[in-house]
Amino acid sequence: MKLFWIPLLVLLFIFNTAFADPTGRIFVTNEKGDSISVINGSSLDVEATINVGDRPRGIGLSPDGNELYIAVSEENKIKVVDPKSLKILREFEAGSDPETFAVHPNGNIYISNEDEAKATVFDPKTGKQLAEIRVGLEPEGVAISPDGKRVIITSESTNMLHVIKASENTIENNILVGSRPRAATFTQSGDIAYATAEISGEVVKVDINSGKILKTGSTGDSKSKPKDVLLSKDEKVIYVAGGRANEVVVMDANTLEIIKGIPVGKRVWGLAISKDGKRVFSTNGVSGTVSVIDTDKNVVIKTIEVGKFPWGVVIND
Amino acid sequence: MLKKNINNKILCILIVTFLASTGVMAEIIEVNFAYVGQNDHAALLGVKQGLAESNLQGQFLNQKYNLDIISTDDAATHDFSGYIAVLTAVDIDTFTKLSENLSGIPVFNLTIGDDNLRTACINNALHIIPSARMKADAIAQWKKKEAGSHANAQAWHPDFVKFAARDLNKRFKKKNKTEMNDHSWAGWAAVKMTSDSVARTKITDPAELLNYLKSKLTFDGQKGSNMNFRETGQLRQLILLVENEKIVAEAPVRGIAKPPTLDSLGISSCEK
Repeated sequence: MKLFWIPLLVLLFIFNTAFADPTGRIFVTNEKGDSISVINGSSLDVEATINVGDRPRGIGLSPDGNELYIAVSEENKIKVVDPKSLKILREFEAGSDPETFAVHPNGNIYISNEDEAKATVFDPKTGKQLAEIRVGLEPEGVAISPDGKRVIITSESTNMLHVIKASENTIENNILVGSRPRAATFTQSGDIAYATAEISGEVVKVDINSGKILKTGSTGDSKSKPKDVLLSKDEKVIYVAGGRANEVVVMDANTLEIIKGIPVGKRVWGLAISKDGKRVFSTNGVSGTVSVIDTDKNVVIKTIEVGKFPWGVVIND
Repeated sequence: MLKKNINNKILCILIVTFLASTGVMAEIIEVNFAYVGQNDHAALLGVKQGLAESNLQGQFLNQKYNLDIISTDDAATHDFSGYIAVLTAVDIDTFTKLSENLSGIPVFNLTIGDDNLRTACINNALHIIPSARMKADAIAQWKKKEAGSHANAQAWHPDFVKFAARDLNKRFKKKNKTEMNDHSWAGWAAVKMTSDSVARTKITDPAELLNYLKSKLTFDGQKGSNMNFRETGQLRQLILLVENEKIVAEAPVRGIAKPPTLDSLGISSCEK
């Protein structure tokens, strides 16, 4: 009788760990608050604030959603947090001044090391550095194609997108874009990428295979200093964080014409979209808030007070 | 040592042969700058910083940037053909003579704030350093907001962090073991805007570059706004207001500046 239960318990245990329910929480790094704010996905209220160290910026989740990674820039570390218990599980040295990173489908982390003109690849399980890629000055944005084949690193002061072949961790192409490219995102197919250029106030649409710029679109007036960019689920529009324009700019993904500017808070930088595509979250640095956008109507449905200078945002859904 | 040299030479020949066979050689763009001024001037440190960064960018694009340093005394007799631009940290007379003699070549003024040089509207003179009038206007705007305040106006400050100024300050200090000041920022900016333009356009002719800089430049000087030139040859830029070695404001001062743009600082057109 007792023996009967053992395989069942084992099965239940495996099921629970492998397919653990995501918490539904939204996690936000507060650059000057040295903390992360934890937002409840249903109530959209802040349910906890965790101190994580000096100048947290980049934030991301493991492919299975069971680990939250935070780039703590001034401490040169990545800290690993359990999204359920909210406990810091471990930390590892991540090169000088880690700013932004992206998590590869294989679990490895690609980090831009802003003051060292390089990108580094780490295995977050062991904390070991696997590769180093020399790039341009002030590398910032990191994007990985959904199939994991390619990585884009933007170098802000060298005005380039470096396209990296992930299997070899070598640069296969350098694409010169507008001034101060800050962030990029791939389409599902991985053939097209969009990138923002902060100082020239532009978004570029790039053919990744040829390295050619297909289209350039202005994100608005001279106040517009675009940072994060992401695609809607149907890939028909892009959402761009307008920086000092204090709005999220919705653009036609094909023509790069502005469809709408959604007023949010001051100095909007970080963006994240829910898996179902229905919500976009923006971090508004100077206002100290996160805006929740309903993507059906492209309006703000809630503004949430978080810590000082919110920077990055991810959704554990 | 000799053997090592020979080995290096063989290696070089092999590399060159390889590059030539792949057709990469043909695409290399090489660009030469001239700097005129003292060789211990802060402006030269900035020029060298800009050069290192241009070459870092150039390695991804097959572009190479070189620098010749010429003393002020030798400038009158030096042959300036073959340079894409001339960077100067000299007195006003030397600058005026040089820029007039080198028509068609961009001559960058890194150090002189004199307003007469701006109203002179010398076609090939590009003033990176702010004019005295720009600084005076910046201070006047600040005083309207904070009466009784005795601020200094500067192009740059080592404590400036916004707009990625922090990053530029950090890497300059790391390389040069000294802090970036107005002159070294100007030197850096002149080289960086040139190499950014060459990278985008592949222009190697000085007259074409001059035309591009004056009409089409969009430059990230790590001071926020997109930078370009007025018809006076003056670079549009924000000015820092500094009190007791601390940055207290940026001009144009918000709510005060009229128009509320960079052109509220200094003279913006050639017509008197």
